[in-house]
Amino acid sequence: MIPFDFDYYRPDSVGQAVELYARLRAEGRNPIYFSGGTEIITFGRLGQLVTDAVLDIKSIPELGALGRSGDHLVFGAGLTLNAVAESGLFPLLGDVARHTADHTTRNKITLGGNLCASIPYRETVLPFLLTDSYAVVAGRQGNAWVSMHELRLAPGELLVQIWTEQSAARWPSVTIKKTKQDEVDYPLVRLALVHDGRGVRAAFSGVCEAPFRSWDMEDALNTPGVPLETRIAEALRRLPGQVIDDQLGSADYRYYLLHHSLREGMSALEGGGR
Amino acid sequence: MESVGKSVPRKESFDKVEGRAKYTRDLRLAGMLHGKLVTSPHAHAKIRSIDAAAAAAVPGVRGIVTGADCQELTGELLADRPVLAYRKVRYYGEPVAVVIADDEQTAWRAAGLVHVEYEVLPVVSSPSRALLPGAPLLHEEVEKYKRYGDVYPVPGMNIGNHLKIRKGDFQSGWEAGVVKVECYTAFRPSDHIAMEPRAARAEILPDGEVHIRASTQAPYVIKRFMERYFGLDPGQVVVHVPFVGGGFGAKGAVQLEFIAYCASRAVGGRLVEVSNSREEDMISSPCHIGLEAQIKMAATPDGRLTAAQITLLWDGGAYADMAAVMAKAGIDDCTGPYRIPNVWADSLAVYTNHTYATSFRGFAHPEVTFAIERTMDLLAKKLGMDPIALRLLNAIGPGETTPTQVLLDESNIGNVPACILRLRELMDWESGQRVVLPNGRIRTKGIAALWKTSSTPTDAGAGAVLIFNKSGSVNLMTGVVEIGQGTKTALAQIAAERLTIDPSLVHVSFEVNTKTNPEHWKTVASSSTMMAGRAILEAADDAIRQLKYNAALVLQVSPDELELAEGRVFVRGNPQRGFLFREIAMGYESENGLTVGKQVIGRGSYIVKLTRLDPETGDGRPGPQWSVAAQGVEVEFDPVECRYQVLRAYTVIDGGVIVNHRGAVTQMMGGMSMGLSWATRESFLYDNQERVLNPQLRFYKITHFGENPDMVVDFVQTPYHEGPYGARGIGEYGTIGMAGALANALSVAAGVELFQLPLLPETIWRARGGGSVHDPV
Ligand SMILES: Cc1cc2nc3c(=O)[nH]c(=O)nc-3n(C[C@H](O)[C@H](O)[C@H](O)COP(=O)(O)OP(=O)(O)OC[C@H]3O[C@@H](n4cnc5c(N)ncnc54)[C@H](O)[C@@H]3O)c2cc1C
Repeated sequence: MIPFDFDYYRPDSVGQAVELYARLRAEGRNPIYFSGGTEIITFGRLGQLVTDAVLDIKSIPELGALGRSGDHLVFGAGLTLNAVAESGLFPLLGDVARHTADHTTRNKITLGGNLCASIPYRETVLPFLLTDSYAVVAGRQGNAWVSMHELRLAPGELLVQIWTEQSAARWPSVTIKKTKQDEVDYPLVRLALVHDGRGVRAAFSGVCEAPFRSWDMEDALNTPGVPLETRIAEALRRLPGQVIDDQLGSADYRYYLLHHSLREGMSALEGGGR
Repeated sequence: MESVGKSVPRKESFDKVEGRAKYTRDLRLAGMLHGKLVTSPHAHAKIRSIDAAAAAAVPGVRGIVTGADCQELTGELLADRPVLAYRKVRYYGEPVAVVIADDEQTAWRAAGLVHVEYEVLPVVSSPSRALLPGAPLLHEEVEKYKRYGDVYPVPGMNIGNHLKIRKGDFQSGWEAGVVKVECYTAFRPSDHIAMEPRAARAEILPDGEVHIRASTQAPYVIKRFMERYFGLDPGQVVVHVPFVGGGFGAKGAVQLEFIAYCASRAVGGRLVEVSNSREEDMISSPCHIGLEAQIKMAATPDGRLTAAQITLLWDGGAYADMAAVMAKAGIDDCTGPYRIPNVWADSLAVYTNHTYATSFRGFAHPEVTFAIERTMDLLAKKLGMDPIALRLLNAIGPGETTPTQVLLDESNIGNVPACILRLRELMDWESGQRVVLPNGRIRTKGIAALWKTSSTPTDAGAGAVLIFNKSGSVNLMTGVVEIGQGTKTALAQIAAERLTIDPSLVHVSFEVNTKTNPEHWKTVASSSTMMAGRAILEAADDAIRQLKYNAALVLQVSPDELELAEGRVFVRGNPQRGFLFREIAMGYESENGLTVGKQVIGRGSYIVKLTRLDPETGDGRPGPQWSVAAQGVEVEFDPVECRYQVLRAYTVIDGGVIVNHRGAVTQMMGGMSMGLSWATRESFLYDNQERVLNPQLRFYKITHFGENPDMVVDFVQTPYHEGPYGARGIGEYGTIGMAGALANALSVAAGVELFQLPLLPETIWRARGGGSVHDPV
């Protein structure tokens, strides 16, 4: 049960949504965009999240976009993870989405909700970081293009879509997820690798406190003429922060799995990839 | 036999599959109030003050009850637990107050406004630490608590019960042994995660009659306890139990029922519901016990066991309640199904600042079996003997005595060697215990042998009443609770068999009402089919006597000349002369309307014949019989990441004659699944203040449907002469050996001995030396 009362709104357009959000805020209310709702509901029933107004954004047409536009792929933030995976448009994104939560939950979880979640895994961000994708973010001043590398939403800003170059979506890729025990669980390590034709790009979730892509580590992995083991060892030295140490897994074990996954992923990619 | 042994589909299946079966909370009642618990954020603290003024001021709040309002102390054997924490909290999540309001939301909101001031105390984090000199005491004067039965708390220590087995001469047996092993196993508390969280409703009617509706396995115990703790006349207490959504022992304890009753008492007797959220069900209501076990075994060079020393330190949590009884059940069968002439055992229900414990499917046996079966494998390795051969050589059987010195015979124990031999065959053991695959993965097999008796109170029993419908079908009433185990269908089969009718003509009452259904001790301990089955046979025989009486009156013959078949009573040797049940069950109406004979009402009962155990030696009869089993697990292990997959799980059980074949197979499968879930992943995690870190299913994982391995189940059927048609009991057994068998298989695969649960990849990785060097790669 959700122990608090809240008003329910369903704006029909992006403009309505951001205006409504701003108005409620101005009235001293505590509104929240409601997408798949999986985080809002699970946190809400524990009292870890409280709101008095939910703005259900799933019926806004732009958030349901899925397809091609020019040489780009367009993913609406309101798409469920299953819809994203089943579209087959972006194989790496599909692979990542397919191993996030269980099938029933993926019928609810949305791309936007996953990208904006407060749980620090946000696995679906990795394919977008690797492909230098862009987000369409709506604010009261209208829409803005924001590089996925810089995506940080201010209160009231709405993530509308993500645009990815079609050619990038077809780069050879590998992704590996390691969990504590269960298949359905947050990652101890989620690794995503692509080869852009010149070199390998690498992004990670579950390793450090937030998901990240590291150009530094990529440089190490791409150093010419150096054996793979040495490149990986150097890449690991360049981790951007401390490895997470928590109830899912110790930093030691995560590091070990990361090393092993990198070895597995790099070998697969350099040997052809998908 | 016509009905017994057949795979009769469960009678309740259609209602359940279509979502029509009703559980405790499904009935919405106008005017019902809701109680919401205020729980402790500390594992050990003094309660300085409780300020409920802000909560009481919330519109819709009808009352607030705290420990000061209900100071009755409760407990199965040792009354150490207040209904709501009073002056002190002893575990994280302990109920401190209950806020009663018109609706659940208001109660919930107001509960957040109850301000409790605590003075935090140092915590006790494990049984072994609890016993260290200077450990903080959870209960300062444990000896002063009222006792209900044989329980031996130790003054000045964190011990709620200390039980002993002294069998044979341990010292000389130990010296006679040449090969010796020592094994220390440990795991922390976990939870049952029954699909339906616990819930209770209570109402006190103006005439004083108390109605309790609850998700419980123990309606008659609730009735008794309402007398024991609140002085109520049991005739004025009515407990109603609809379907129960899984129990696994969790619902054998009584907790929310007391709180709901005190809440109702505080609001003029109005109907109040107190139900758990999933999170509360995990940490505020009693959980699955933890255990630290130390086992020493000695054997002759050819593998014959000569002595065992067994120390069981149960993590019973903050209150002794069922842990005190589990300490007994665990020691009753502490050697496993092996012939060990000299045994020195101690079993301690230890207090810690964890959620208090209650029975878990297998009642102390999955826990002890894990320790014993690890030790047996260690011994086999040290002896250089095949693990199956070692178990066969030492298997206990007729003519030998159990740890509590019950003499076994052909009837009171199943056939241990037959189960092991059948398991060996099914697992194709001869093909090898360990195989390295071309991809580097390792496939191994592990086994466990097990036994269990019921360890019920000495007066546990069951009753049954059979009444007839005009059509000749019967209604069967018992006090057994349907918790998903299918007992009621098996009971219908037993009644049908005796009455020579089809099981579909036996209508069972699913809802239990303690005012009208005859008493049944508790629906636990794999004992319901056996006990209620016996009562039903007596009830059926009673009904048959009456049917014959009616028929004899009409046919002008002696009842002795009559016989029963296919739902008819007829003259022996002359089947045409007779009546269908429907013609005589309500008396016989002759053509002119004159009715002779009586309405047939069959009644029967059964009480186990047990004795108490001697406090110094443990001698006594803890249960009527021992079902036995052998279980196995096959795994595929990845030596790099230490991840593994359970490929197959096996159970060969001797549960006596099997009443419902398919029902028994599914019970074993469910049991194996539960045992594997516990062994592979389930455990509470605590911070250094003993607060639970994972009190929700997001981080407390259980296996999902579809993650189960292939399962193979087979039966050995050694009849138990006292059981109905030779049945013993099977409900819990599938769970018992899984952790031991899995740990044995993984120890062989990983090349290191694994002594802790759950068997997480990281745990195995660490046991193999991972993380111990500077660069872990
Ligand atoms: C059983 C289970 C397992 C899971 N496992 C994983 C896993 O392994 N890896 C993983 O990454 N995730 C996993 N998740 C998902 C994750 O924890 C979140 O629940 C999910 O990502 C939230 O998505 P949602 O669409 O339901 O978002 P919501 O709950 O609707 O919203 C989440 C947050 O995002 C904000 N938000 C949503 N959409 C927008 C938008 N368009 N613009 C601006 N803000 C927005 C909301 O306001 C809210 O603050 C799991 C979830 C469950 C239930």
